[in-house]
Amino acid sequence: MTVEHVTAPLLRVQNLGLRHVSGSATTPILSDVSFELGRGEILGIIGESGAGKSTVGNAILGLLSPEFQQTSGTIEFNGKAIDGMTADERQTLRGRRISAIFQDHTASLDPLMSVGAQVEETCLTLDSSLSKREARARAIDLLARVGIPEPERRYRNYPHQFSGGQRQRVVIAIALAGSPDIIIADEPTSALDATVQKQVLELLKILVDETGVSIILVTHDMGVISEITNRVLVMRKGQVVEADRTATILDQPRHDYTKKLLAAVPRLRIPTRTVKAEDDGGQAGSSAIDGDQNPLLVAEGLSKQFAPQGFAWGIGRGKPRFGLRDVGIRLPRGSITGIVGESGSGKTTFGRILAGLDTAPTGRITIGEHAFNVSRSGRRSGLLGRVQMIFQDPSVSLNPRMTIGETLDESIRFGGRTGSSKEPADLAAMMDRLGLPRSLLARHPHQLSGGQKQRVCIARALLARPEIIVADEPTSALDVSVQAEIVGLLKDTIAERAMTMVFISHDLAIVQAMCSSVFIFKDGRIEDFGPTEFIFSRSDNPYTRALINARPQRFTC
Amino acid sequence: MPLISVVLGRLSQAFLLLIAMSLIGFIGVHSVGNPVFNVVNIETATPEDIHAATIALGLDQPIWRQYLAFIGNVVSGNFGTSYIYHLPAFELVMSKLPATLELASIAMLIAAPLGTGLGLLAGRRSGTLFDRTMVKASVSALSIPSFWLAMMLILVGAILTGWFPSGGRGLTASFLGQEWSFLTGNGLWHMVLPALALAIPNIALIARLSRSGTIEVENLDFTRFCRAKGLSSRRILLRHTLPNISVPIVTIIGLQFGGMLAFAVVVETIFSWPGVGKLLIDSIQLLDRPVVMATLTFIAVAFVALNALVDLFYAVLDPRVRLSS
Repeated sequence: MTVEHVTAPLLRVQNLGLRHVSGSATTPILSDVSFELGRGEILGIIGESGAGKSTVGNAILGLLSPEFQQTSGTIEFNGKAIDGMTADERQTLRGRRISAIFQDHTASLDPLMSVGAQVEETCLTLDSSLSKREARARAIDLLARVGIPEPERRYRNYPHQFSGGQRQRVVIAIALAGSPDIIIADEPTSALDATVQKQVLELLKILVDETGVSIILVTHDMGVISEITNRVLVMRKGQVVEADRTATILDQPRHDYTKKLLAAVPRLRIPTRTVKAEDDGGQAGSSAIDGDQNPLLVAEGLSKQFAPQGFAWGIGRGKPRFGLRDVGIRLPRGSITGIVGESGSGKTTFGRILAGLDTAPTGRITIGEHAFNVSRSGRRSGLLGRVQMIFQDPSVSLNPRMTIGETLDESIRFGGRTGSSKEPADLAAMMDRLGLPRSLLARHPHQLSGGQKQRVCIARALLARPEIIVADEPTSALDVSVQAEIVGLLKDTIAERAMTMVFISHDLAIVQAMCSSVFIFKDGRIEDFGPTEFIFSRSDNPYTRALINARPQRFTC
Repeated sequence: MPLISVVLGRLSQAFLLLIAMSLIGFIGVHSVGNPVFNVVNIETATPEDIHAATIALGLDQPIWRQYLAFIGNVVSGNFGTSYIYHLPAFELVMSKLPATLELASIAMLIAAPLGTGLGLLAGRRSGTLFDRTMVKASVSALSIPSFWLAMMLILVGAILTGWFPSGGRGLTASFLGQEWSFLTGNGLWHMVLPALALAIPNIALIARLSRSGTIEVENLDFTRFCRAKGLSSRRILLRHTLPNISVPIVTIIGLQFGGMLAFAVVVETIFSWPGVGKLLIDSIQLLDRPVVMATLTFIAVAFVALNALVDLFYAVLDPRVRLSS
């Protein structure tokens, strides 16, 4: 490193300590954080929720709310301390020298102002010598540079008329408007689909090469770190546990926590493609699934369309969008079936219809001998309860006012009425199996960790003794280290009970680890399906290949 | 073609509203009492006089026949003649309209910018002394009765200091065939106290809305992003926060403005301001059915029009609502 910056580093953070004060309670947030950032360097800061990684970014930007107090250390930019500057001085740095990209591209742009105007106002603010016309030209130029097609025409469009990836490109254009030295990118791709994530990361890399800007990339995702960063800072509980070149961190992690983080990243295995693929291509997969003559669940011809929420009296109501188009699957008894798709692919809608939480105007679901009318509510058709669901975010899927014991008890009683199994549910055994201490029964959800809450959700689903479990992204709201535990636990308990599960996810690696067959959803249709091995090794579907290729190379083997 | 269907839908709704309103108003006035006793001189009238008056007013007919006759007249643009003033009812309402319209407009011109501005500042600095004072003041302004507020304004602004007149419209000037106070200095002077009496509760209401909206919007990512891209707080407040909070504010401005046109009766009475609200209450007391019905119809039409304007404003403001061309 010393070879790289002969002169003073662009940014130097030394022994930074911060605490959060609310009322009389003070919580330490950061302690003794030190690092340097060189010109043209991409520094990754990785850590799980609560590690304080975003706080570091906000401290550099000077955007901390007043409850945060600096207790020690300095932040030097170009050799000059900036943490003691007045609010006005900090504001003149923002945009011009240090700018930012935030996670949520939907929320980062003002919905009521055209995209061009938002870029233009930034140019005008940061360079007061510009005329309105010059600012406009520069804005169009910036939009073109971040890869917005037809920037002159798109200039007048509003944020909602852009896709997620394009919105994030606009945000990047705004961050570049003042030709800053540093861009703080806080989870810039976490809200994007895998294929788009890859393109945005590539754009950032190109911009670093072209403009020499430095980037601090805050993320929880090792995949993102492995793709573009030069150096990495691993943070935990407000402290830096390890800092080194990215390759070193990935290959020879020293700290146990780093090792744990790395081990927890799900890896995608891509078996080498065999020549045999020629003779049993695409149809091999479908016949393998159709070949099961005794499936537990058959869903046929499910279609559903959403009328976009228009304004009152029909103003602004667009064409109906299809949520699902003629989707059908068969679930073999005692198997785990994966459903993969990007946002808007209809995978969640499908799961909700299976669980009887949503209706579809056309289609049919058969479980065993019993056919269910999916156009009626799950309660009326009897589907509700036979299929249990595990939701994405355990922090919002447990009733905050009920104790864990009450929640699980409710599930046992409800399951006693609708569940298929006649054997009584054994709460104590279930708690033990899922690694939940009995003392949790008297607690409320907010007193539990994220992983514990998701275990409770699993227990809740299992205790209702359903025939089928639908798990909708059950790990994506959890930290990586917890994700692996939950995935393992889910897989084992399902296998032990010989239950049938639908596992919905956007993450190919987790699906590969869990499922025996996979359906790939795209735009409300089944784009590709087959046994897991077939999908990952031999499927010729271009979309499937694109999804697989979008995975960080580092975590594919 | 969606625009046409929107307009047609809106018109048919307005039509149903007018039918319902007229039925309720008609039956309401009918069940309060017999207007004949307010038309004839009770002291001197003979039973024959009363009978003749009843027939002259068409009150001998069954109520449904009276209603149908009324509807028939309305369709041909005639609301009937006031029992009391012996003038066409609709013209009577229109003659009172300028006074109400100018008072309500001035009150809203004071209340809307002041309320929005106070709310923006308070929301921007939530938790500060300014914010807490604003919140407390707005609670009191909303909870004091308007007659008390009006009397206090007269006490302080007219009696103790003598700065403003305590009532009446003052000098008026003619414009578009009507008399307006706001065109003369003296008329404007007369308008200050009643306009304040109408504006103060509205300032409080709008400020509350704008404050809570500001707090919500300032917590959104895009205002944080605006700060990160180097915009000044003033620009963020005016160019980004203000448009984003304006939908509920404009809604409430529309509703309150309609309310002031129709129901500012307390303030109009206290300040002897001859407006529509005062006319409505007087007419109800005198059971002057044609005038009551004409006023109610005007109020209903005004509310429908104001709501349409508010919706139009949504579409202008919010690109997501705009028709895709």
